[in-house]
Amino acid sequence: MSVACPVCAAVDLAIEARGVEVLLGDRQVLRGVDLIVPRGEVVALIGPNGAGKTTLLRSLIGLVPRTAGRIRLLGEDDLDRALPRIGYVPQRLVVERNFILSAREFLAIRLRRTRGWFWQSHKSIDACFGEELERLGVSSLLDLPLAALSGGQLQRVLIAFSLLGRPELLLLDEPTNGVDQPGEKTFYELIGEVHRRHRLTVVLVSHDLSMVYRQATWVYALNGVVCCQGPVDEVMNTDSLKLAYGTHVSPYHHQHVH
Amino acid sequence: MFTEPFMQRALLAALFLTPLCALLGVFVTARRLAFFSDTISHGTLAGVALAFWWGWSDPTVPMVLFSLLMAAAILWLKEHTELLTDTIMALLLSGSVSLAMILFSFLKSYRGEVHRFLFGDILAVGAGEVVAAGVLLAVVGTGLFYRLSDLSLVTAQEDLAHVCGIRVRRLNYLFSLVLTLTVAMSIRLMGIILVSSLLVIPAAAARNLSRNLRQHLVGSVGVGVLSGLSGTMLSYELDAPCGPTIVMAAISCFVMTLVVSGLAGRRFKGMRHSA
Repeated sequence: MSVACPVCAAVDLAIEARGVEVLLGDRQVLRGVDLIVPRGEVVALIGPNGAGKTTLLRSLIGLVPRTAGRIRLLGEDDLDRALPRIGYVPQRLVVERNFILSAREFLAIRLRRTRGWFWQSHKSIDACFGEELERLGVSSLLDLPLAALSGGQLQRVLIAFSLLGRPELLLLDEPTNGVDQPGEKTFYELIGEVHRRHRLTVVLVSHDLSMVYRQATWVYALNGVVCCQGPVDEVMNTDSLKLAYGTHVSPYHHQHVH
Repeated sequence: MFTEPFMQRALLAALFLTPLCALLGVFVTARRLAFFSDTISHGTLAGVALAFWWGWSDPTVPMVLFSLLMAAAILWLKEHTELLTDTIMALLLSGSVSLAMILFSFLKSYRGEVHRFLFGDILAVGAGEVVAAGVLLAVVGTGLFYRLSDLSLVTAQEDLAHVCGIRVRRLNYLFSLVLTLTVAMSIRLMGIILVSSLLVIPAAAARNLSRNLRQHLVGSVGVGVLSGLSGTMLSYELDAPCGPTIVMAAISCFVMTLVVSGLAGRRFKGMRHSA
């Protein structure tokens, strides 16, 4: 008889991934990764380039096939049953310039009531979106084609897209990629706000340790395997980061320098 | 001109095929599948040659079969080799055309036929083809609007589509199948060489004046039907080949939308400067 982990049994888990192995080409990107995320946490995946952060995120939702391991999302073993309750923001949306899907049409796809957007008036579509878009700063972008949006604007639209589905779990891949520095802070404030208001679980992949320091409650340092994990203060201040990043690491979290 | 049965058939075929191609064209241009449709249409020439080789007078069935064969070959090679899609298609296109031309060289009595298939023949559109085009338009048009959200999302971003529970692979195969059948059905009217222009030009013309996908789809269908019908009638009046006349009509539309969008753009720019 297997003995259940007392912690896991007691806590409601958003993600329970064990022994995940992924092979991309000839390279074993993930070599047995365990990722346990209780509901309501903001968990950051950090690590150097090629550490498998993005791959781990993508393998969770079946975008990358795994060669071994078991994944349970939101208490479901069957990915198809969990997917409708998950929001995903990909690393960057490469928008085909020839495809002029407007932000309104794109967002309408996410809602059951507006999936027939072709036959609906803009007014009735916007009425279905609710006030959330205003808070996300997206409502002024609805008429623009996705291809015309700047990196930061597009990221907001993508967040809005995933939030419209009322997810319980939000997966963000390198959310500040392509966003300029002034835009970045507000973006993370946005994530924090969304997390507090919707009480959803957030897993984000990031290079930016200062951001991790501000927003995450728990950190996984990854480099093919989980090098270390723990509350932000512990992980970010120990030598364990060196394990993940190598020896010449400088976790720049701008502590009280300003 | 409207009393002649062959003209009625040609106009009906144009009326059914142009909106179909125009709708698909919006996605063909966005997904860069113009070369894919070109390869498939050229592949049908080998079907024509084989049909004549076997002594069949109506090559429609072998043409459809060969178009499906070409599509399957492209998709199979894409998945099972490291070759780039461009390379695969160039290989299949030149291979199938070469095979067809060698076969035609043995069939001396059919040599004049090649031209009719390359550039389309208004007289070649039979009643059966008109019915098939109508059915295809009804089925594909309904299916496309029923799955418009799914298709749009897959075109914009496949990973997001997957997360939204869309069967991306199945939808892509289905789209390829529909595109292949549409191309095969349009060849008698447009000709092998020009058929993909019916997909590309209306979408490109409408693109100049559209600001969202709905406008793009509506505009593309409008340009397609307009150039299809006017081109067919013009080809009758001028006694010119049908396919090229339709293409020229569509290109006229494209130039007009380009000029209009240029003028509108200049006006907007002027407004911005004065502001």
